[in-house]
Amino acid sequence: MEGFFSVFTVELLNSGIRLATPILLAALGGALCNQAGVLNLALESKMLLGAFVGILAAYYLGNSYGGLLVAMVAGGLLGLLFAFLYHKYRVDLVILAIAFNLIIVELTVFVMRAMFGNVGTWSDPSIARIPDIEIPFLKDIPFFGPLLSGYNIIVYFSWLATIVMFVVLYKMRSGRHLRAVGENKSAAETVGINAILLQTLALVISGALAALGGAFLSIGHLKLFTRNMSNGRGWIAIAAAMFGVNHPVGVFLASLFFGFADAFSVRIQNVTDLPPNLVKLLPNVATLLVLIIIGLRSKLALSMARRRFRAQLRAEEAALPGESST
Amino acid sequence: MKDGRFRKLLDAILVPLLAVLSGLVLMGILILFLRKPLFESYAVLFANGFGCREYGNCIFITALERATPIILTGLSAVVAFRSGMFSIGQEGQYLLGAAAAAWLGYAIHLPPILHALVIILAAMLVGAGYGWIPGVLKVKLGVNELLATIMLNSIAALIVEYLVQFPMRADTSAVAHSPVIDESAQLMSFLPGSKWGVGFVIAVIAVVVVYYYLWRTKPGYEQRMAGQSRKFALFGGIPSDNSAVRAMLISGALAGLAGAIEVMGVHRRIMTGFSVGLGFDGLTSAILGQVHPIGVFIVAILFSGLKLGAQIGLQLKLDIPRELGGTIIGFIVLFVAAGKFYEQSIVRARAWSTRRQGSNLKGDSG
Amino acid sequence: MKDVPMTPAIEMKGITKYFASTQVRANEHVDFSVESGEVHALVGENGAGKTTLMNILYGLIKPDSGEIFIDSQKVQINHPDDAIRQGIGMVHQHFKLVPSFTVAQNILLGMEPSQAGFLNQQNENKLVDELARKFNLPVDPAARIWDLPVSMQQRVEILKVLERRAKILVLDEPTAVLTPQEVNELITVIRGLSKQGYTIIFITHKLIEVMSVADRVSVMRAGRMIGTKKVSETSIPELARMMVGREVLLRVKKKQVHPGEAVLDVRDISLSDVNGLAAISHVSFQVRKGEIVAIAGVSGNGQTELVEAISGMISLDGGEILFKGKSINEASVRERRELGMAHIPEDRMVVGLNLQTTLDENLIVSKYNRSEFSRYGFLLMQAISQFAEKVVKAFSIAAARPGEGIAMLSGGNLQKVVVGRELSGNPSFIIANQPTRGLDVGSIEFVHKTLVEERDKGAGVLLVSVELDEVMALSDRILVLYRGKIQGELETATATEEEVGILMAGGTLEDLKQYSEDKEQGENREVKS
Repeated sequence: MEGFFSVFTVELLNSGIRLATPILLAALGGALCNQAGVLNLALESKMLLGAFVGILAAYYLGNSYGGLLVAMVAGGLLGLLFAFLYHKYRVDLVILAIAFNLIIVELTVFVMRAMFGNVGTWSDPSIARIPDIEIPFLKDIPFFGPLLSGYNIIVYFSWLATIVMFVVLYKMRSGRHLRAVGENKSAAETVGINAILLQTLALVISGALAALGGAFLSIGHLKLFTRNMSNGRGWIAIAAAMFGVNHPVGVFLASLFFGFADAFSVRIQNVTDLPPNLVKLLPNVATLLVLIIIGLRSKLALSMARRRFRAQLRAEEAALPGESST
Repeated sequence: MKDGRFRKLLDAILVPLLAVLSGLVLMGILILFLRKPLFESYAVLFANGFGCREYGNCIFITALERATPIILTGLSAVVAFRSGMFSIGQEGQYLLGAAAAAWLGYAIHLPPILHALVIILAAMLVGAGYGWIPGVLKVKLGVNELLATIMLNSIAALIVEYLVQFPMRADTSAVAHSPVIDESAQLMSFLPGSKWGVGFVIAVIAVVVVYYYLWRTKPGYEQRMAGQSRKFALFGGIPSDNSAVRAMLISGALAGLAGAIEVMGVHRRIMTGFSVGLGFDGLTSAILGQVHPIGVFIVAILFSGLKLGAQIGLQLKLDIPRELGGTIIGFIVLFVAAGKFYEQSIVRARAWSTRRQGSNLKGDSG
Repeated sequence: MKDVPMTPAIEMKGITKYFASTQVRANEHVDFSVESGEVHALVGENGAGKTTLMNILYGLIKPDSGEIFIDSQKVQINHPDDAIRQGIGMVHQHFKLVPSFTVAQNILLGMEPSQAGFLNQQNENKLVDELARKFNLPVDPAARIWDLPVSMQQRVEILKVLERRAKILVLDEPTAVLTPQEVNELITVIRGLSKQGYTIIFITHKLIEVMSVADRVSVMRAGRMIGTKKVSETSIPELARMMVGREVLLRVKKKQVHPGEAVLDVRDISLSDVNGLAAISHVSFQVRKGEIVAIAGVSGNGQTELVEAISGMISLDGGEILFKGKSINEASVRERRELGMAHIPEDRMVVGLNLQTTLDENLIVSKYNRSEFSRYGFLLMQAISQFAEKVVKAFSIAAARPGEGIAMLSGGNLQKVVVGRELSGNPSFIIANQPTRGLDVGSIEFVHKTLVEERDKGAGVLLVSVELDEVMALSDRILVLYRGKIQGELETATATEEEVGILMAGGTLEDLKQYSEDKEQGENREVKS
C-alpha cells in the first residue's frame, strides 16, 4: 500500500482545489437559487455557454480577462432569460432546464462550426491562458503556503464569492429577504418583499457564476473549446449544492470533496490497481445519503407530534381508575 | 360526441404542432444567417432523414432504428410521469441495463433465442431494480425523486464506466470495450447493411403494451389516478404508494430494455462513450409527445429523422453544421414548454375572429 | 371601558359585497363601528360574512359599495399597505412566518434596520425585547419559530403587527389553534393591549370567549349585521339566538322510521392535528340503521378529522370504531368501502372527483376491483360505460356523457356524479360531509331527497353540516361538535334552533335553561305589575 499513500502530496491538493473551482462557482449559484426557492437545473448550460463565449471573447478582444467578463455577462443574460420564461409563462423549471441544456450543448458547437469550419475542437495560439498568480506573503507560509498561492484569479474569485455569498445571505438585508422568499413566499410578499425580483437576481447571478466556471475550463485551463466541454460538471454542481445543504460553507466543502475525488482518481491509477471511477463514486453516494437523511428528518418530525399525542392519551388512560381501554 | 373527441385531439396536438413549426421557422432563420440556400436546405433535410433514395434504400429505415432506444426511454418517462413520479432516471437505468446485457452476452452461453430472451429479461430486471430505489425512497422517506434520480444517474454512469474499463474489458485498446457478445445474443436485423431489426419491433410492441397497460388495466388506472390527484386516490381507496413504486419498476424496466436493445441490436458490446444522452432524448420525446405512448413514438421518429437529416444531409451536402438538428429540437422543447405563449395567442386570435364575425351580424349586442 | 365619549375608531357604512363566482352575497349593507380602545367581538357562523368584512377593512377585497371611516376621516383602502398605513394590523388564521428564522427576524422582516445593508442581530434582539416589554408579551427573540408552540407563534404575529405601528388589531379566529390554557393567556394579552389604548377586533364563533374578553359584540348572519350589544347587557343565549335565529326554509317530508341496530359505533376516539394538539378528543356516538345523525357545528371544530378517521383516510390515535359490530381501526379505505361505507366528501372538486379525467373513470374509483368492472387485471370498458350511462340517467346529470370529461359540469351536476357513484351499490352507511355546499336550490333539494330516501331504505347516514337549516330539516338526531368534543346531543323532533345554536357557540344547555327561566321570570314580573 506504499504506493497508495505516495499520492497524498501537496500537488494532489493543488489539483483538487483547481478541479473543484468550476464546480464551486456553479454550485454557489445553484445554492443561491435553491435558497430563493427556484430550482436551477440549467447550470450545465450556463457553464458551457461561459466556456464558449469566454474563449471567443478572449480571442476577439485579444485579452483573456476580458473574455472572463464577457462570459459572465453572457451567463447572466441566459439566467435572465430563464427567469423571464419562468415567471412570465410559468414554464416548468425542470423542462426549462432540460431545454436550455439541450440547446446550449448543440448551439455552441453549431456556432463554432459555422464560424471556424468543420472542426471538433477550436483553439488559437493567440489566446493567452489565465496565468497563475503567486502571492508574495502567502507562498512563504510553511506548509500552507503552496496550498494558498499559485492559482489563477478565477480560483481566488471563487473563494471570494463563497465568503461574499455567506456574508450577503446571513448578514445582510437582501440576503435575508431572499431566504425568506425561498422558505415562505407568501410571508415575504405580505411584508412587501419583491419575490420575483429576488428570484430573478438569483438566477442572473447563478448564470454569471456558472459561466465563469465554464470559462475557467476553456480559458483558464485547456485553452480550447470542444463539444460538451463541461462534461456533466453542471450536474455535479447541483449535487454539491445539495450536499452542502445550500449553505456557502457547506457548498465550498462539498465542491472540494468532489474536486479531491476527481484529482485522487486520476493519480491513483498510476500507483495502484484501485479503479478511479469507484473513488469518484464516494461524493455521489454521499450526496444521495444526505438526501435520504433530509427526507428521514422531515418524516420523523411529522410523526413526532402524533407520537407525543398518543403517549399523552395513554397516560390519561392509565390515570383513569377502572376504565378499560376499548 | 365524435366531434368532441376530435376537438380534444386537435387541442392536444395544436401546441406541439405550432412549436414544431416555430422550430422549423427558426431553423430557416439560422440557415439564412449562414447564407445557405433556404428551400434546398429544407428539402435536403427531409430527404436525408425521412426519404428513400432508390427502391430499397430508405434512410427512413435508419431513422426508425435510431428512434428505437428513444421510444423505449420515452415510454419509461411516460409511465413514471403519468403516475405522478417526476423521475429523470432513464439515463442511469438505461446504462445499467446495457451493461447487464453486454455482460450476459459473452459471459453465458445459451441457444440462440433463449439467450436473447434471458438477456432481455435480465436487463429489464436490472433496470426495474434501479428504478425501484428512487421509488421506495420517495414513498417511505419522502425523498424528492427528481433529485434522487439525478444522483443515481451519476452513480450508474460511474459504475458502468468502471465495469467497462476493468472487469469487462476485452483488450488493451485505447477505447475500452467489452467483448463482442455471442451471436446467439445478437438481435437480428431485417435488412443487410442496416441495424434496423427486431429491436424496432420490440419498441413498437412496447408502445402498444404501455398504452393498453395505462388505459385498459386496473394497475394502469390506479397509477393514472394517483398521478393526477393523490387526494382523490386516497379518498377512493386506491393504494397510491404501491402504484408509485410499481410505476418506477416498470419505468426502470423499459429504460433497461432500451439499453439491452442498443447493445444487442446495434453495438454488440458496450464501450466507453456508450452513453450519448439517449435517456434525456427519451425524456424530451415524452414531454413533446404530450406524455402519451403514441406521441412518444411519433416524436422519437421525428427527432431521429431530423438529427439524421441534419447529419447526413445538411452537413455532408450543404456543409451546414449538423448540430443545427439538435439545436432546433431543443428549441422545440422550449416552445412546447412555453406553450402558454401559444395558448394566449390562440385565445387572442379566436377572440379577434369572433369579434369580426359579430360585427357582421346586424342587431347583435356587444 | 372608557367613559370619555370617543369618536369611533372605525366606521364601516353600507358595505356590500357579492361574489359572482360562488353566487354568494357575503355582505349586504353592513354597518359596523368600533370605538377606540375597546375590544370588539365580531361573531357569526360560517358564511355569515365576518371574514369578508374584515378582509375588506384590510384591503384584501374591494367592496361593491360602502364607505370606510378611520377616526371620522373617510379613507380608501385598496391594498393591505393602505390598511397598514391607517394603523390597521391583521393577524390571520394561518400565520405568515418563516419557520427557520428567529422571532426577531420574523417580527422585523421587511423593515430591518440596516447599516449599508448590513444587519445587526444583537440590535434586532434588543429592539424586539423592548417591544415585548412595552406590551408585556414576553418572547425570546432568538428562538426559532419551528421550535415554538403555536400560541407563542401567534404572539410573534401580534408583535409583528404592533411593530408596524398598528393601533387597530384584527384577529381572525385567534383561539382556533390554542389550548384552553393558552386561550386564557391570550385573553389576558388582549385585555392588556386594550388598557394601553389599542382597539381590538376579533372574529370568532365562540361565545364563551366573547363574554369573557369583549366590551361589545356585533353579530352577523347570512351577510347582514343583526345587531351590536354591550357584553355587559347581553348573554350567551341571546347572542346564540341572534347568530342562528332564522326561519327554516326547507322541510323535507320524512317517514316515521324506527332505527335498527347500530351500523357505526364510534367509541372514545381521539385524533391529533399536525401540531400535536387534539383535533378530536374522546368522541363517542352511534349511527343506527335507518336514521340520519347530524354532526352540527361551526367548521374547524374537528369535523374534517372526524370524517377522515371514520372513512379510513387517517388512522386513529386512540379509541375504536366498529362497523356492523366489527372493529375497523386497521381497515383501509378500500376495505371500509367494501364493507358498505360510502362517503360524499366536503371538497367535490379536489377529493371527490378527478376533474382531469373522464366521467367513467371517476365513477369507478371505488369499484374498479369488482368482477363486473374488471377481470384478470383488465378493465371491462363496455361494462364501465354502461354503468356510467345508468348513473347519468338515474340521477339526470345534465351534460355528462360516458367517455367524456366532467371538468365543465356545474357544481350541482358534479355533486350528482359524486352522489350517483357513492349511492349506487346500496351502501349501508353514508357519510355526507357538507353535501350541499355551493349548490343551487334545485340541487340542494335533490341531495336532501336522496339522503332521506337512503335512510328510508335502511341505511345509516352521518350528515356533517354547518348549515343549521339542513341539520334541523334532515336529521333524526343532532350531535354538536365543539373543539373536538361532543358538546351536546339533541333529538331533532324536540330541539330548537336556540338549543343547537348555543351548543355550536360553546355554551351549554344549562345556560339556555337559565336564560329561559330568567326570561320567564322577567315576563311574569311584567304581567304582575
